[in-house]
Amino acid sequence: MTAAWILVTDADRLAACVALARGAGASVTCAVVGPRELADLAAAAGPDEVRWLEPAAEVPAEAYAAPLAAAVAAAGPQLLVSTSAPASRVLLGAAAARLGAALVPGVLAVRADGEVLVVDRAALDGAVVETLAVTGPLAAIADPGDDPEPSASTAPVTVLDGGAPAALRVEQRQAGAATSGVRDAARVVSVGRGLKAKADLDVIAPLLDALGAELGCTMPVADDLGWVAKERYVGRSGQHIAPRLYLALGISGAPQHLEGVRDARVVVAVNTDPQAPIFSAADYGIVGDLYDVVPALVDALHR
Amino acid sequence: MSTVVAYTWARDPGNAAVRDDGTVDWRNTRTVAGDDDPAAMAVGLRVAGGSDLVGLTLGDGDASWGLARGAARALQVTDAPTGADDAVTAALLAAGVREIGDVEVVVVGDSERHPGVAATLAGLLGWPALVGVADASLIDGRLSVVRTAGDVEETVSVPVPAVLGVAAASAESRVPGMKELLAARKRPVTKTTVAELGVTVPAAPELVSSRRPERQGARVFTGEAAQVATELVAALRADGVLS
Repeated sequence: MTAAWILVTDADRLAACVALARGAGASVTCAVVGPRELADLAAAAGPDEVRWLEPAAEVPAEAYAAPLAAAVAAAGPQLLVSTSAPASRVLLGAAAARLGAALVPGVLAVRADGEVLVVDRAALDGAVVETLAVTGPLAAIADPGDDPEPSASTAPVTVLDGGAPAALRVEQRQAGAATSGVRDAARVVSVGRGLKAKADLDVIAPLLDALGAELGCTMPVADDLGWVAKERYVGRSGQHIAPRLYLALGISGAPQHLEGVRDARVVVAVNTDPQAPIFSAADYGIVGDLYDVVPALVDALHR
Repeated sequence: MSTVVAYTWARDPGNAAVRDDGTVDWRNTRTVAGDDDPAAMAVGLRVAGGSDLVGLTLGDGDASWGLARGAARALQVTDAPTGADDAVTAALLAAGVREIGDVEVVVVGDSERHPGVAATLAGLLGWPALVGVADASLIDGRLSVVRTAGDVEETVSVPVPAVLGVAAASAESRVPGMKELLAARKRPVTKTTVAELGVTVPAAPELVSSRRPERQGARVFTGEAAQVATELVAALRADGVLS
């Protein structure tokens, strides 16, 4: 039977990662680097066991990459899984290097075919799904769907020896100066380069009112143009949001932007370019000019 | 001690065309600067603080890209495979770092498309790593590394040697001018090969098949603005997203 280790530093998509590993028919170990509460969440996410390493105060999870990699190497699993969370990736990379594993991102599903792991992964920004065959150990950065229903059982939690962590230390942690409200909003309307001028935010304002939505934006609109406050920038290095409705206006859909909205329930795209990648990531789309579509949407919402 | 910035180590997905049958046609596999490479270079310059900054590139891309942005010299692994998985890329970069020698910090773009490279590179070197890095500087022999997640900004002290994966928070703000481009052409580029480096690269996964995703994107409304807006709002109400 294939053995899989899932390297966990936060609760995001835990059960989905377990389900992904189960697809390979694997016995699943969650290696958790974090507080006891996280280990308990992992135990309820459906694995066979949880190995738990509690970091010392102000020591980031990444400091334990080498000792954890040694524990992984001792167990010798064929499959390693993490999400794309930065700390989890560092743990995965260290373990993959130790195992000599192939490292594949964007993994949607894994199954075992004898000794071979067969992997479906999203490539070219989601334009294709590639099926790969991996004969040696595989480290997968998972791009799983939503978490399945919680497991009825709870896996046992045992303590993992943290050994000698690297001398990393969190020196300072501070919340951003402003809380824009975009992070926790149920509805978000974001603007991209399709907006031609800062003054045209006035065109968007009635739509925000009609939807009760918060304003978000892409990186260039906040950074290069400075038209919208930076704390409203949605994307990989900005806000990661999970609204019920995300309306993308004049946004092409660069991967780094889409990473910030992958947990949105419904994505709607309005763009003049029918080939824009945003339409691949959206549930609904309108090919059109936001300057025509937004007033029409406001009218439709008021009817 | 040197700081190494890895850049121009991946091919440009804009040069790939998806055929009707879902297979991919790479019309050009030349390595290009990635979206995060300018940010990695900026952090590399800050970390080096005027001391030796060495560029490291893979494949047949433009090594002078980094030389025009502040690297004093570069090592180019000219025959590095460009379609490899992240572990192979990391193994080639690790071999390059070892070849350069006497390195205390490696800075690499934390690419969205290759999210395992920086971390695996660190694992192969046996060094600590942080990825998703926004900024860093070297103070009294330790790295002070800034990273942000949502509204929270964290400063982490990291011992050297270390690997930093830098995620761009903005597009490149300053493109080199003609003077810098000309100066870059005079800076030394050492060309080497995978064989010369003696790299043992892990076997890359075998591509079995490629297809378009089953979900072909959005349900797209077309027509007059008033009509499509009405249809969209009706669909969102039916979905329960709008009351």
